[in-house]
Amino acid sequence: MVEGARLVPKGYLGKNRRFSACRSSDMSVLRLKRGHDITLEGCPEKKLVNPGRPFSLAVCPPDFRGIRPKMMAKEGDHVRRGQPLFYCKDHDGLVFTAPGSGTISRIVYGERRSLRKVIIDTDRIDSCEEFKAFKEDRIPELKPETVRSILLQSGLWPVIRERPFSSVANPGRKPKAVFVPAMSTAPFAPDVDFILEHDGRGFQAGLTVLRKLAGSPVHLVMGEHSTSPLLSGAQDVTIHRVSGPHPAGNVGIHIHHILPIRHRDDIVWYVSLQDVLRIGRLFLDGRLPVEKIVTVGGLNVEKRGYVKVKQGMMLRDILEGNAIKPESRLISGDVLTGFKSVPEDFLGFYHDTISVIPENNRRDFFGWLSPGRHSYSVTNLFVSKLFNNNNTAIDTRMHGSPRVIIPFGNIESVLPMDLLPTFLIKMILARDIDEMEKLGIYECDPEDFALCSFVDASKMEISDIIRQGLEYVQKNG
Amino acid sequence: MKGIRAFLDGIEPHFNSGGKWERYAPLYEMVDTIFYVPGTATAIAPHIRDAVDIKRSMFTVLIALLPALFFGIYNVGYQADPEAGFLQHMLSGGRAVVPMILVSYTVGGLWEVLFAVIRRHEINEGFLVTGLLFPMILPPDMPLWMVAAGISFGIVIGKEVTGGTGFNIFNPALVARAFVFFAYPAEMTGDPVWSLAGEMTAATPLAVAASVQNGDAGLLVSQAGYSFGEMFLGLVPGSVGGTSKLAVILGAVILVGSRIANWRIIAGGLIGLFGAALLANMLAPASGNTMLSLSPLSHLLAGGFAFGLVFMATDPVSAAQTDRGRWIYGVLIGVLCVMIRVLNQAFAEGIMLAILLGNAFAPMIDYFVLRRHIARRRMAYEKQ
Repeated sequence: MVEGARLVPKGYLGKNRRFSACRSSDMSVLRLKRGHDITLEGCPEKKLVNPGRPFSLAVCPPDFRGIRPKMMAKEGDHVRRGQPLFYCKDHDGLVFTAPGSGTISRIVYGERRSLRKVIIDTDRIDSCEEFKAFKEDRIPELKPETVRSILLQSGLWPVIRERPFSSVANPGRKPKAVFVPAMSTAPFAPDVDFILEHDGRGFQAGLTVLRKLAGSPVHLVMGEHSTSPLLSGAQDVTIHRVSGPHPAGNVGIHIHHILPIRHRDDIVWYVSLQDVLRIGRLFLDGRLPVEKIVTVGGLNVEKRGYVKVKQGMMLRDILEGNAIKPESRLISGDVLTGFKSVPEDFLGFYHDTISVIPENNRRDFFGWLSPGRHSYSVTNLFVSKLFNNNNTAIDTRMHGSPRVIIPFGNIESVLPMDLLPTFLIKMILARDIDEMEKLGIYECDPEDFALCSFVDASKMEISDIIRQGLEYVQKNG
Repeated sequence: MKGIRAFLDGIEPHFNSGGKWERYAPLYEMVDTIFYVPGTATAIAPHIRDAVDIKRSMFTVLIALLPALFFGIYNVGYQADPEAGFLQHMLSGGRAVVPMILVSYTVGGLWEVLFAVIRRHEINEGFLVTGLLFPMILPPDMPLWMVAAGISFGIVIGKEVTGGTGFNIFNPALVARAFVFFAYPAEMTGDPVWSLAGEMTAATPLAVAASVQNGDAGLLVSQAGYSFGEMFLGLVPGSVGGTSKLAVILGAVILVGSRIANWRIIAGGLIGLFGAALLANMLAPASGNTMLSLSPLSHLLAGGFAFGLVFMATDPVSAAQTDRGRWIYGVLIGVLCVMIRVLNQAFAEGIMLAILLGNAFAPMIDYFVLRRHIARRRMAYEKQ
């Protein structure tokens, strides 16, 4: 805890109300005030189910930012779990492996022959590539080179991502820190305590492995009220406690408040909680672990709960025996950042939520004039606010048409970062790299601005503007 | 209701690209979205959106203006003939004010549509506010053609030449008022303009206070028959919407409560006004300038300061756009208003010029706040 406090640059936290954040002195909890927890109906129940055996699994290169894939296997080849499918042209050693054994049934290409999907028809009995396994007590003695090569060979390396730009971590560079966000605030996101309670095997091993690999501090960020002993008793890490509404659980917000990214070569790695478990299990078992727990939530799906799935499963297989109402939008990921999908699509590599919400394009007569008892809004402009947005319906409607920027302050009210988002957006639209850098573009990620898109009265796609800005800076900076 | 939808859907293809009325697409968009909230669904993440939009936000401003408007109509009738009774007050007030609003909306609306069609941008709802604000800050006796000339100048020069709503430097309604103020001084200044009854002249409280040298401003105001209570309620001569501080407070509660207006600007403005007026009071004994002795409360209650601060200085586009900048901008407006009222008694009402000057300084205030923000970021980075 002491170390974490020291790492925080003086004056960057707490001191000033304008940061909308403060650390209370007694418990050292970083309390974020700005943000909003969207009250969505159809929360997943805390009940874990196992779906049947998947008939097909896929690896989709577009899931991995910053990767230029080159195939290593052909259609019709038989592969085992953990056997390479394709590699990244920029790093020969960075391979992406099969999440299960079977035959490569189809390789799907998109525009300009970009690799979209590698689909495997799975075997009845799974066979695996064997990697070196270690006893729990031997893990602290591992060498960084061993860790690196096992992670790369097994194809589990891509679970490590880096900021800025949220791409797969570059194996050739060292980060200044590793972040593990163990706190979920996104709508329908799986509860961290529930996952660790169900099976926390490999968590400590994973953290130790990351510490060895990176050679820099590992920051574990947990929610204020998290009770899991695995989190509070974790070794080899600096523990931080954070509280506040979404996006307080996003890793970008944690990095911003704990160890902000100063320039494009100031690298921070981050790994999600379930992927830390997977890293630990890889080293304990010597096999590529592909299981993870996802939530299924939303008003338009019949059974909502936690499902134990395999990486790259088809959404239809995950939702087997679970009815989806007509006029629904199926999303791989959460409603703020996920991908619009059809049941034949595959679960995104980094996603741990499947959301099914009502699709709607109904047009209300004089809707903007109505008192708005059933309109969900963060602003105080609708009667529903008096009822705490109870009994309001959220669906996929835009509720308005695009307009120019009028800075009412909606955007700022949901962004718990010491940034000036309106000016940053203007500089991105103007493609002014110099100003974007000065205003902190490297600290930004589209997912942290998703709520800004949500509340904006001008209906601008702010998340997407941030994404464009990052891409532009990455390419031309 | 089905009929309207069917009709709108029927004519929509003509306005789409390639249709025969393609150029008038903004017009169609306006009518279509007035009747029906747009039916588009989200295309990319986030997949859900807040119900708020610009229409709703601007409409809230209109609601906040309603108390001041209704009281203004009543007061215009009351000032013309205090003995006539409530109904008569509303009728004669309405006869004067409603045509002004209609002219403002019609002429301003025409310009708005013309520019939307030529410049190919959407028709922004911000105009609904400008079109109502302008007549509310005019004297009730204003010839209608001047209302038309003023709103034309306000929309075209104040807004459209710099790119339309969202790109304007100055508050368009105030640009319009400044134009008629300087172009037709006879109809905008002096005592007779504030009352409908031609033979009756009524000086506004501020004009009274500024009328005599070496006097006590507070005494002059109360001798003219204007008590604090009357000035608070608004039963004094003045611009159509600006006299009642009670109505302004109601509007302010709506605007601040809904966070459409930023409270920092209003708080800053009050601080600036009180600070500057107290300073002036201290200087009063050393000078023959009567206005120096006007108390802060009188500054607040007399004239249109409260109305301007709540409804016009808080325009999010022409105000400063950073939180710290909003404080500075608010204080600046408060101070400037007192300075103009005190130092230049030709402009007994200082708030219009104070806000326009504040608008002019807002980008510079933001610039410095932004540089400081960047410098602080850099310092925090270096300490890491």
